[in-house]
Amino acid sequence: MTMLRGFLVLVLFFILGESMRMLLALPVSGGVLGMVVITFTLMVKGSVSDDLASASQGLISVLVLLIMPGVVGVFFTADQFSGQWLAVAAALLVGTFLSVLTTLLLMKLVTARGEQHRE
Amino acid sequence: MSELFTRLGVLADTLAATPILAIGLTLGAFFAGNWLFARIGRPLWLPPVLLSACLLSGVIAVLALDYQAYQQGARWLTVLLGPATVALGIPLYQQMHHIRAMWRPIVVTLPIAATLAAVYALVIAWALGATPEVLASLAPKSVTAPIAIGITEQLGGSVPLMMGGLLITGVVATLFVDLLARLLPVKDERILGFALGLNGHAIGTARAFEISHTAGAFASLGMGLTGVFTAMILPLVFHL
Repeated sequence: MTMLRGFLVLVLFFILGESMRMLLALPVSGGVLGMVVITFTLMVKGSVSDDLASASQGLISVLVLLIMPGVVGVFFTADQFSGQWLAVAAALLVGTFLSVLTTLLLMKLVTARGEQHRE
Repeated sequence: MSELFTRLGVLADTLAATPILAIGLTLGAFFAGNWLFARIGRPLWLPPVLLSACLLSGVIAVLALDYQAYQQGARWLTVLLGPATVALGIPLYQQMHHIRAMWRPIVVTLPIAATLAAVYALVIAWALGATPEVLASLAPKSVTAPIAIGITEQLGGSVPLMMGGLLITGVVATLFVDLLARLLPVKDERILGFALGLNGHAIGTARAFEISHTAGAFASLGMGLTGVFTAMILPLVFHL
């Protein structure tokens, strides 16, 4: 029961996000808008109810289950992209290597500089 | 005897016509994948989602089910991705004190690193001759799945290809963070966690929770912020 009550809150914020997307013609998905709005609502409110916390924890823990039908599709639509596998593989492997390197170096640099300032 | 076979055929058709078969198969593969993952010693390069997806694809292929029909039935599960995305706002709120404590490096790194995560991949794929549809599918490769699905649909990409890319990105980001942390070296768990979440979304975040709770918190933060930032920026940038 309590989890369903929290689920209702999540559904309502999702509907709110979808309404915002449609009415304001925003290029962002309704789920993301709902997430931003619920985060700000909680910040203003200053606390999160147990119902909402348990419902969100429940949904997040089965995220993998919810994305599986989409992942499976790659095996069934593969021939649609034949001839582009080199581009895809290179973009994913090299691109990810570069972005991980960038993130680590940037964070290291800015954190070190911040600590120097404090001294 | 032949009558029994006819009934079996009718039974199979009836089950395949309702969403319940798709839901049952997905749930079964989910738990089987998790069980198998634990049995083979939780390898870093083979996350449960990959195992489950391979099992599920195998069963769909063996039973000769129509993929479109499966997808239709699985809508009952995938429709929950909307509320699940909203749910990501709750841990984001709960970790707000972490954001405040490390706001400067986060504010500097996030926009640059999240943008470059997409740009590196787009430039490489474009240089190697990828079509616009493939580019649109690769752009949100570092974004957590529920948000990435929304982005790809908006950009006109292929959701299945994006999901495959997401999966590979998550796995290799985890391996590269481990490798570069040793080479650079970076020892701060907050930085490692943030890099795991920013580049490797949910798969990186799962890995960060294995390092420590702090790393996990920063990974959730990196994943959430990258998702929101990319979702806001990418549709605007991509149309230019």
